[in-house]
Amino acid sequence: MNELALIVFTPLLAGVLAWLLNVRGLREAIGVIGAAVPLAYAAMLHEKAAQGLSFALNLGVFNMTFALSQLSWFFLGIAALVGFSAVLGLVSTARGSYEWLFALMSLTGAFGVFLANDLMTFFIFWEIMTFASFMMVLRYNRQASLKYFVLSIVGAYAMLIAIAFIYVKVGSFDFSAVRSAFIGDAYARMFGSATFSSGELMALFGLFLVAFGVKAGLFPLHVWAPDAYSETNQSYTAMFSGVLSKTGIYGFIMMYILMGTRLMVEFGMFRSAPKFGYIIAFLGGLTIIVGGLLAALQEDIRKLFAYSSISQVGYILVGIGVGTALSMQAALFHALSHALFKGLFFLIVATIVYRTGKTTFADMGGLAEKMPFTFAMAFVAILSLAGIPPLVGFASKWVLFEAVISQNLPILGGMVFFGSAIGFVYLIRFTYAVWFGQRPTDLDDTKDAPLPLAVAMAILALFNVVLGIAPGLVARELNRIFGRDIIGGNLFVLDLGFGKYNALAILTYLIMGIAIAGLIYLLGARARKVPVTDTYQSGNPVTMEYNLTIRRNFFLPLKEALSGWLRISFDRTYRDIGAWVEDFGEVMRNYIYNGNVQSYAWYLLLILLILAIWGV
Amino acid sequence: MISVYYFGAISLILIGLYAVLVKKNLLKILVGLSIMETGVNLLLISIGYVSGRSAPILSEGIGPNQAVDPIPQALVLTAIVIGVATTAMALSAAIILYEKYGTLNVDEIRRLRG
Repeated sequence: MNELALIVFTPLLAGVLAWLLNVRGLREAIGVIGAAVPLAYAAMLHEKAAQGLSFALNLGVFNMTFALSQLSWFFLGIAALVGFSAVLGLVSTARGSYEWLFALMSLTGAFGVFLANDLMTFFIFWEIMTFASFMMVLRYNRQASLKYFVLSIVGAYAMLIAIAFIYVKVGSFDFSAVRSAFIGDAYARMFGSATFSSGELMALFGLFLVAFGVKAGLFPLHVWAPDAYSETNQSYTAMFSGVLSKTGIYGFIMMYILMGTRLMVEFGMFRSAPKFGYIIAFLGGLTIIVGGLLAALQEDIRKLFAYSSISQVGYILVGIGVGTALSMQAALFHALSHALFKGLFFLIVATIVYRTGKTTFADMGGLAEKMPFTFAMAFVAILSLAGIPPLVGFASKWVLFEAVISQNLPILGGMVFFGSAIGFVYLIRFTYAVWFGQRPTDLDDTKDAPLPLAVAMAILALFNVVLGIAPGLVARELNRIFGRDIIGGNLFVLDLGFGKYNALAILTYLIMGIAIAGLIYLLGARARKVPVTDTYQSGNPVTMEYNLTIRRNFFLPLKEALSGWLRISFDRTYRDIGAWVEDFGEVMRNYIYNGNVQSYAWYLLLILLILAIWGV
Repeated sequence: MISVYYFGAISLILIGLYAVLVKKNLLKILVGLSIMETGVNLLLISIGYVSGRSAPILSEGIGPNQAVDPIPQALVLTAIVIGVATTAMALSAAIILYEKYGTLNVDEIRRLRG
């Protein structure tokens, strides 16, 4: 059987088996194998990706086609790696076979999306993925899952309409056929006549923007993500945020590949970015800011990382929107590092929730002593997300900053920098409130991470470190996607032509600095061991409203400063629209469907009259 | 010039419709329905009428060419039966309504239903 088919369908098969057998121990083994097989195959296919690989499944009505390209291999690799780690985490945290079935089903959906070679297959697996992740949220919180479902449905219909529209005009679902049709149309547009009018193109772009924007968590459509990410199994969220949000990113890239030329010809440029791309990038920038600010104001760890995940996806969208080869590479690079550190973060949150059963900052503190391994992993993740060299988060953010700055886009640059600053703000809170400071007495016998979660975290942390020290590994893959050397340098050095980043040198300086500090400590520092119950706040008595501890309402001043803006909530807007529709329906029901037979007779008469006047 | 049959049939339908739409007493509405039904039957029969021909019963001297259209007559036979059945059922419903609410005014019944 074909490798691609194995990759796509093994998780689903394993999920169904695990669900049917439902024997404790056995279902975990089957599930882990189901996630390990695609990972192994993805690793083996690395060399084959260059020459391409395809597979078609005849369903009688139409062919389901899959193909492997360099680009899809890159995303497949991310999905397989993070998916495998998340499934390992599930071994500890899954509450039953139900979760195994749907977690693995959503993995199949993501693989299918990345490997699809025609629009219909893309859509089908997109929906499998959405359905499975909806079921995962449904188990934990109905409200959150419904919000996710409604927004996903809006996105799915938008995509379906767009696909149908393309099919009507082009006559094929196949990616290569659609692509060449759009490129041909771009030339036709330059010489006068084109198949797609400018209004139709705008509609197509808008539909795809909604469809992929929902999944990626683009700014006004992000409202489902904080609830859905936090109200599900946290190990699964590692996959949810790490892999499933990447399908939206992949969708945007596919849109570029399929219809980018045509859109560029039609709408022209804004400064040095294509105009349609600038819209994506600007919304991505807003996503960064909104997600970052809201992350800083959360009191719940899961919510904090959900918003932070939204914010980080904003970077990727900025990179995609700017539209140069370098910024595209930066976006792909950040997609990889986002999956790595966000997957790690959610596994850490899963461990904390699993071991303590608490989710709010107010209940945490001083856990570093009790969970040293998890703390070490959290340390890696924090450094990576905040963008501290020599971790992978720094390398990808650096390339992205350079890409935006070099294109002379000051507003986007400002947004991206602001996002990084706010990233520090919320991470400091996580670092201090959970790991340091006074420990509540009920956390005194907290144990460290269970083995499967520890292994899963270790895998992701290892990649965070290794790819951070040797960013050239990723750069080489990215260059292979584009077929030319856009990011130069060697294994440890990234060279963009106008700027250089040497990870090895920084690592050396860092180790030297730490060594010197350690030497000073050993030789002469008069250090006193501070027990966790011996840390002070400032001398003043602290009121609850203005509590100065970092655990409760730490960013209250920020919240007050932003209160005017916080009142504008898209979440509330959508809810208002929903309530308005419901009210409207109620009014219509009361006045028209009033239970009076005689008024129904009147309606009948009126309709007959109208039909008669029309001459039916 | 519209045929008098059509005019009469349609007038009956409209009279029945008026009763159904405007009258508040349930029995009057049912009477309206019956009138409407009669009008519909008349209309159907008059559609099938061919001027100067006799009943469609094949006998001495009357072939298929001398008869009026038989199909509307079959249709109307069916419709009469259905009409009687629905009227009987509606009347029994009216009796039950009167027993339950003590009135036949439709507005009153709607209010009491609450």
